[in-house]
Amino acid sequence: MASKMKQITIWARGVVQDKEGRDVANGIAIAAKSEGKFTQAFDNYVDLPDRVNVPLRKYARISDTEIETAYEYENEQPEVVVVMDATIVKGINILRGMQKGGTLVVATDRKPEDILKFIPNKDLLSKIVCVPAKAIVGHQTVDFSGSEGGIDAVGLGQGISSAILGALAKGTGLVKIESLAAIVKNKEALFKGSEAAVVKTL
Amino acid sequence: MAFNIPKEKAVPLGCITPAPVTEQPMMITGNWREYRPVIDHEKCNLCMNCVVYCPDACWQLNQAEDEVVWNWKYCKGCMICVNECSTSALSKAYELDFEDGVVRLEKPF
Repeated sequence: MASKMKQITIWARGVVQDKEGRDVANGIAIAAKSEGKFTQAFDNYVDLPDRVNVPLRKYARISDTEIETAYEYENEQPEVVVVMDATIVKGINILRGMQKGGTLVVATDRKPEDILKFIPNKDLLSKIVCVPAKAIVGHQTVDFSGSEGGIDAVGLGQGISSAILGALAKGTGLVKIESLAAIVKNKEALFKGSEAAVVKTL
Repeated sequence: MAFNIPKEKAVPLGCITPAPVTEQPMMITGNWREYRPVIDHEKCNLCMNCVVYCPDACWQLNQAEDEVVWNWKYCKGCMICVNECSTSALSKAYELDFEDGVVRLEKPF
């Protein structure tokens, strides 16, 4: 059962990327749900998300069968790790708990090799995807709508999250890009991110 | 209600607390940093603005070498020192340009 469930962990910066990180988790979960999968998406409450620039986590889970771990609020074995700000790779062991053959998606304008030299346990990875999300979109949505069960007044995927979702769909194939385009607001950035993503198989 | 506080632990009137003299290993904040300050010792005239303004005391004067020293372990990259530097000896640089300054924690906290 657990092997069928795919865990996606998103690392973002506190406050400045809180909304964007949540949009990636929610976006991938909603898109997978529209394809008939069972999904979960939630924030981490441990990481003190109300401090500027603190590394924080968002989680999503996708499964073909009903997810039974409803009350486990951390992804212990993430298959896909998304890093919304590339400098987080220097600050955190982002691949903690990953089994061999995982995927890493990094929002950066640098080459995959430049990111990999900062990851000591890179042998766990089978694929790395780099997408210049900030260059594509140019701005980040700093907003608290949608947090902690609130109503999302801004809308899903206005800033860099849509470009990252496009790269995530291209690199991992977890969801189709058409189902993402149905829910994301910034559709141009979604397709641009999918095009610009550099996928490197290790 | 009366409290029995030993005299050496009592906070003096006016709430003057002693400055921290050691590092706090439970609260390493170096991984909050996206950009770091880089010092040009040629331009620095030791005005101590960075030492005074740093909220985390990450700039300290090394009296033996006669220069200010940056603590990468706790610098959050707030760039206050870069703004306050009187001789523009400090500049802002992207963190991924440097091999050092890695604070790889297992968990954020």
